[in-house]
Amino acid sequence: MSERITQLTQRVVRRELHSSRAAPSIAAAVLISAFCLYVMFEAALKATGQDPWLVGPDQAAGWVGSLSDNVAAAPLVGAGLLVFIIGLLFFLNAVLPGRRARHTIPNPRTAIVVDSEVLASALARRARVAAGVTGDQVMVTVGRRAVEVQVRPTSGVPVDVEGVRSVVEDELRQTSVEPLPAVRVAVAPSGVIGQ
Amino acid sequence: MNQTPRMLNRVMLGLLGVLLMAVGGLAVLQVVPAVARWWHAVAADLGRSIDGLLERTTLSGQQDSWLWIVVALLMLLIVILMAVWIAAQGRGRSGTLAQDYTDGEDGEEAAGRIIVNGSVAEQALKSALLERSDLVNATVTTFEFGGEPALKVKVFPRPGVSPHEVATEVTELVEALDLMVGRQTPVLISISAGARARFTRVERVR
Repeated sequence: MSERITQLTQRVVRRELHSSRAAPSIAAAVLISAFCLYVMFEAALKATGQDPWLVGPDQAAGWVGSLSDNVAAAPLVGAGLLVFIIGLLFFLNAVLPGRRARHTIPNPRTAIVVDSEVLASALARRARVAAGVTGDQVMVTVGRRAVEVQVRPTSGVPVDVEGVRSVVEDELRQTSVEPLPAVRVAVAPSGVIGQ
Repeated sequence: MNQTPRMLNRVMLGLLGVLLMAVGGLAVLQVVPAVARWWHAVAADLGRSIDGLLERTTLSGQQDSWLWIVVALLMLLIVILMAVWIAAQGRGRSGTLAQDYTDGEDGEEAAGRIIVNGSVAEQALKSALLERSDLVNATVTTFEFGGEPALKVKVFPRPGVSPHEVATEVTELVEALDLMVGRQTPVLISISAGARARFTRVERVR
């Protein structure tokens, strides 16, 4: 029972860390449906011997067959590139790993995932207190392998870089996210006045 | 934790992507005269063979081929399949947290079925979570995952709250729920930055 839960939990975590591609899939399905609906309509008109609605199949086939005569070069290249780029977007969505900006916290009982924004916000609060600056002066960027802390010190008050780093690393260790990112602290050369 | 068909999504997106890239690429290459001539020849050949096919499938006394009916039905089938595909996204919500069944044949127990509704866990966890001041909101939903009921707890902490504290305390709540229900279900705790936290934050993040 418990082993089954561990197994399921691992699967849940893996799924939660990757995108399900639901939105592009729905877009693709709508696109395909619209095209097929139109073709269905024209084919039905042709089958019942009625006049075509917009373009009859014969006419459309003839137009596509001599494409370079029917369309000037510039619009043809533009439209072709547009279609190509849309196709590339769909293709990349399918092929790339689709990782989401999330981290997992290992836990024996539950599957835990944390949005990078939440983590960044917690790290920024700790860094802000350690550096003795206001919230506007600290910016934290959380990536998958690295955490970047940018501090703009108050003019005339030096910032303890090592102190900030150790506090951020401590918070990361307590959170024990996987994989544990490396911490980089950058102090801006110019200070902020009147904070 | 839902049952979105992820493999199908990837395969379909990949196929559509390759198809669109081929069409777009071919259209762009029409600018090259050699490719345009080749396309003319290919299209003319294809057109002739399709015309032949349509002529052969035209029944005597009819104006057009019956293949058009087949095409229309085929398109209708594809549209229906697309609708099914859309409906498959995000499915998997369920209302059952746990169930047990005994047929009572060993004589010691009475025959019967017990179902614990998902709203038991949802309401118990939600009311416990909403008491906390460091959370903006929390939602609990029951899913069916891998043939088993599972819980998804989504919490939205205020900006600056340590995720590990939230994680340990929600896990404690889940363990208390285990004791109450009497059996363990897989649980996902998703600590996320909701819209409200996003608009009020002071830290920029990626």
